[in-house]
Amino acid sequence: IQTLAQLTPPPRRHPRAEAAADAATSPRGATMVTSTKKTKKSGDNINNKLQLVMKSGKYTLGYKTVLRTLRNSKAKLVILANNCPPLRKSEIEYYAMLAKITVHHYHGNNVDLGTACGKYFRVCCLSIIDPGDSDIINATPAGQ
Amino acid sequence: PSHSPQTPPLPSPNPPAAAQRSSRKEAKMVKFLKPGKAVILLQGRYAGKKAVIVRVFEEGTRDRPYGHCLVAGLAKYPKKVIRKDSAKKTAKKSRVKVFLKLVNFTHLMPTRYTLDVDLKEVASGAPDSLTSKDKKVGAAKAAKAKLEERFKTGKNRWFFTKLRF
Repeated sequence: IQTLAQLTPPPRRHPRAEAAADAATSPRGATMVTSTKKTKKSGDNINNKLQLVMKSGKYTLGYKTVLRTLRNSKAKLVILANNCPPLRKSEIEYYAMLAKITVHHYHGNNVDLGTACGKYFRVCCLSIIDPGDSDIINATPAGQ
Repeated sequence: PSHSPQTPPLPSPNPPAAAQRSSRKEAKMVKFLKPGKAVILLQGRYAGKKAVIVRVFEEGTRDRPYGHCLVAGLAKYPKKVIRKDSAKKTAKKSRVKVFLKLVNFTHLMPTRYTLDVDLKEVASGAPDSLTSKDKKVGAAKAAKAKLEERFKTGKNRWFFTKLRF
């Protein structure tokens, strides 16, 4: 779990992410070495919170179960990887709009999201049913 | 030694008191697969047809141990009626053919539209009205009458237009 925390933001510099990172971190003035996600701080935060949810809360991984939890309104937060196919992404967003559940677009692809969940497989979408000790639900209310 | 606080002080963002959590849960989560919701069928013979949820079986029944619902849908949409049509032609074009079906939730696509049509008689006879043929036909006729009159009022126009795909 220690190594997972170090491993979490993979330093993959995509030009768009770099531009966004520069725009986001320039007013800070702090010397962030590799800010791959929007700001390194919030990228870390999501990963840490996810880690805590994996440990202490209830969640489901995968498209079918995400839809199921959306349908019976058990989900509290839905997280989508950024390489989620656009049809699937809009379908999940539509369900979440109907059920008034927030969707968080994770800054990373399904490989990264799977790693962030501590799994050795890819995770394209996941839904958090019970956050346990984590405050991920409150921390990303407008996290679209 | 004051023993006044009911709930022990815990980090504020996530109060684990059950009552609070349930009230927050209700405030946040909305069930949307309810009677009156317009849905689109995704599988089966009626795939692509629009339907309205009549009755919901959340936990399923013994025969169908999954969440499903009874829907009343349009097997045949009403045709486009134009102003030059005679009354006879308008009547003919406004006919709908209705189907009743028990559908798994996973085979439905919910939409943001609702259709508040009073399908109470259809709903009440629900699980057994689909077993025997004549009961099914009777229920379908009742639903057909209701839906046709709704179409004639001109409301819920989206529901009565065919989905192009």
